[in-house]
Amino acid sequence: MVMKKKFPYRAALVACNGGCRANQEEAKCTYGCSGCRACASACKFGAISINSYGVAEVAEEKCIACGMCVRVCPQQLIHIHECANYIVVKCSNHDKGADARKECQVSCIGCGICERTCTASAVHIRDNCAVIDETYCLSCGMCLVKCPRHVMQDLRGIFTSGH
Amino acid sequence: MISFTVNGCVVTPSKNQKLLRFLRDELHLLAAKDGCSEGACGACTVLINGNACKSCVPDTDSLQGKSVITVEGLTAWETKVYSFAYAEAGAVQCGFCIPGMVMCTKALLDKNPDPTDSEICYALRNNYCRCTGYVKIIAAVKLAAKITREGRIPEKGADDWKLGARVQRLDAEEKVLGTGKYPDDYYLDGMLYGSALRSKYPRARVLSIDTSAAKALPGVVAVLTAEDIPGENKIGHLKHDQYTLIPPGGLTHFLGDAIALVAAENCETVEKAKKLIRVEYEILPAVHNIQEAAASDAPKVFDEEKDNICAYKHISRGNAAEAIQQAKHVISHHFETPWTEHAFLEPECAVSYIDEDGDMFIYSTDQSAHQTLHECRLLLGTDKIKVQNALVGGGFGGKEDMTVQHHAALITYLTKRPVKVKLSRAESLLIHPKRHHFEMDFTMGCDENGIIQGVKATVASDTGAFASLGGPVLERACTHAAGPYTYQNFEIEGTAYYTNNPPAGAFRGFGVTQTCFVTETLLNMMADEVGISPWEIRYRNAIRPWGVLPNGQIVDDSTGLVETLMAVKPEYDAAIAAGKPAGLGCAMKNAGVGVGIPDTGRVKLIVEPDKKVHIYAGASCIGQGLGTVLVQMVVTNTDLQHEEIVYERSNTWISPDSGTTSGSRQTLVTGEACRRACEKFMEDRKKGKNLNDMVGCFYYGEYLAKTDPLGADVPNPVSHVAYGYATQLCILDSKTGKIEKVVAAHDVGKAVNPLSCEGQIEGGVVMSIGYALRERYPIDKNCKPIEKYGSLGLFRAHEVPEIEAIVIDKPGLKVACGAIGIGEITSIPTAPAIADAYFRYDHERRYSLPLVHTPYERKDGSW
Repeated sequence: MVMKKKFPYRAALVACNGGCRANQEEAKCTYGCSGCRACASACKFGAISINSYGVAEVAEEKCIACGMCVRVCPQQLIHIHECANYIVVKCSNHDKGADARKECQVSCIGCGICERTCTASAVHIRDNCAVIDETYCLSCGMCLVKCPRHVMQDLRGIFTSGH
Repeated sequence: MISFTVNGCVVTPSKNQKLLRFLRDELHLLAAKDGCSEGACGACTVLINGNACKSCVPDTDSLQGKSVITVEGLTAWETKVYSFAYAEAGAVQCGFCIPGMVMCTKALLDKNPDPTDSEICYALRNNYCRCTGYVKIIAAVKLAAKITREGRIPEKGADDWKLGARVQRLDAEEKVLGTGKYPDDYYLDGMLYGSALRSKYPRARVLSIDTSAAKALPGVVAVLTAEDIPGENKIGHLKHDQYTLIPPGGLTHFLGDAIALVAAENCETVEKAKKLIRVEYEILPAVHNIQEAAASDAPKVFDEEKDNICAYKHISRGNAAEAIQQAKHVISHHFETPWTEHAFLEPECAVSYIDEDGDMFIYSTDQSAHQTLHECRLLLGTDKIKVQNALVGGGFGGKEDMTVQHHAALITYLTKRPVKVKLSRAESLLIHPKRHHFEMDFTMGCDENGIIQGVKATVASDTGAFASLGGPVLERACTHAAGPYTYQNFEIEGTAYYTNNPPAGAFRGFGVTQTCFVTETLLNMMADEVGISPWEIRYRNAIRPWGVLPNGQIVDDSTGLVETLMAVKPEYDAAIAAGKPAGLGCAMKNAGVGVGIPDTGRVKLIVEPDKKVHIYAGASCIGQGLGTVLVQMVVTNTDLQHEEIVYERSNTWISPDSGTTSGSRQTLVTGEACRRACEKFMEDRKKGKNLNDMVGCFYYGEYLAKTDPLGADVPNPVSHVAYGYATQLCILDSKTGKIEKVVAAHDVGKAVNPLSCEGQIEGGVVMSIGYALRERYPIDKNCKPIEKYGSLGLFRAHEVPEIEAIVIDKPGLKVACGAIGIGEITSIPTAPAIADAYFRYDHERRYSLPLVHTPYERKDGSW
């Protein structure tokens, strides 16, 4: 099914990197994507698949931001964002830093480096997890390169964290 | 070993570093500019694997196998397309953002050859421009797309370089391609890097300074303190009240005060050494605001002053109190306007070295090379100094004071080595003087027809740590508070207070942006009270040729306020008829510093061995396009073609001092000096000489813009040689509450280059849309500015509404071929026009800026 999309393009974003499955420790993240496929089944456009980490991933070019996946996700970790904001937070873990660290290799531990780094005051730690306000984000990626936990991702695949 | 390609060549950085540092410092690819190094400005944008990226962000170690393209890596065809499109669209002003914008353009067009307007805005929206308001950059991208699709470069729109021609600016190509040099683009052999250790406290007495550990650090060449200064320690734009380096026993005035200067072989060592300097302070209570400064038991910002009053002005004509008492309608209110940061794209930078004559040579980014010369001469106690303006990446008033030039000169003087001193963006935000915060109480009285009977006002400004231009800004705020109207009872009292905040000084509008907001808002309120439209009340009160301004000056034929009102009337009436919220603001702004201050333009035309006429004027082009203006002046006033004319950037040893680029004065004052030089040149031409015969000859023009001092004992003093007038109209979208359109009509006398003129208007309007709606510069308890460049609230490309610039030529000015100039006035009436539009939208009258309860207000609570 092809639908005409209106600029600025929007798409669903799964705020989980799937690191906890890569790390088979006893403590497990209760916030992350469980790979239940509810979103993938609900998507009429075939825009969502389960990636190699076992978590849902959105193909933005297919997504029309209808919000169906947002509604069906039992973990409530999918939201609609503007595709022009390609620097995104891929974590929804709201546990305190020490716990969050144990639960996943790539979890946000709320250390606040991103918040201090951001020139635009667009990143804030809310309830122990980084949130980017896309209204103010300048998509520079400075938070991403400074993040010690690979929490941010560049959807274009250009910037990768240096840590 | 990490390797990747830059412009197709495989490269291997010597160490892990930011890509921007590698491009500039190791590869000397200088088109990517360093505007902030914190991911905000976008001047360093390059393509990585075809995507626009800010090169200050990624570490080189993360780029293995990737492909980086800079402006230097554009194909020959692309350089032609972008140079032409940006120049033809008038998109280039200071130029510092342009290479980044060009790379965004390429990233877009490579994927999308026929982008829509909003796609273009989105492609540019992560890059800031402070000069153009993005309007002409967006037009340039559109034109570049069209040319790319058609595969053919069109003819230039204008090639007649006479006054009034929309010619491409002289400096467009070098700025588009990044080959033009700003001071930061100079890399000299053996060049040191210098930086100052700043005070830890806004107000403290420095007890001792121990530099021994810093001096012992390998790579450190010098650590200088006050005792090393050969001449005067204290310098300043007008008043010499600013320590270059605070001596032991001296009082700090703000967090930007320099205590010691470090010069080392590289930047990392400089920063390390700064941390090794031990300073003992006696911490003293700081003065945070006007109220604290004015308190009877206030701590004194200056040891040597008797109180915290920097300047006091009292201007009175007629009897305002009596006129208001007898007026039918009287409105009084308190108003406030915020601090504003200039946010020019290029941070302050100076490079100095000892030249072959043994002179101190300084490449400077400033608003007057001669001012830099004057202050460095004072500091070093020598005349053997040359100052050369490099390209200036925007000023807006913020580069009138010394920030780095004198530090560079001092290091070179004492070490004999070349040095680069550059402010980080955080330092720049702290150090250069800002737009003043004003607190104002105004009363206006009108008769039953809305004719202004009198205005009485008290204003106070926070001028921060130094005098800078706090006195003149206060004066201009007071003189222009009356507005562009004709009435004869006006009284204002103004006081500028020192505090321990960052200094405040010149900023486009020079005090008038503040008081105009008040006068115009009162007039809008008064219109409602009288029962006439805001347009009508202005039309009734407007100053007309040969009318008398509230300052007593009789204005000349060039006075075009009514024409600007008429120009916006059709759109104003249409908006009202359509039920759209619309607001108006008018303004006047002087051209030339005026009020009896010697204000001289000087130009030398020299015929050089290349058989071309070179224009030398000691007047800085800070991005407004002075060089192009002067060339158009010469073409108009001589028989030369523009190819026979070369504009030379300001310097201090050939170019005669033509005053600071301030007070919207260069087009008129330096323009008239240029015209006079042309007259002399033509006398020789008429004797039958050709350029070959004239090699070695020079023609000097000088023009003194003579005015009367404030309070001069004459019935009708000439306060300024000319005024520009403007009316701006803001129309809101009644559904979203966002700005739909701003119409800006400006009377400029004679537009030398209407394309540049529109660019000034659009840029000024967008700057003041920010001032009206969002820009802030909050200062914390420690007198430290809180925001970073990216969170100042500057408007971005996708947020800018439609702007219609209307340039009105009105003859009458007897000098400079009738050109009054523009510059500052573009930013003045915008805020009150927007404020009134919001009042019409939601019936909430707002008395302070930035306006609250608009869709542009930052809502995430971080402010």
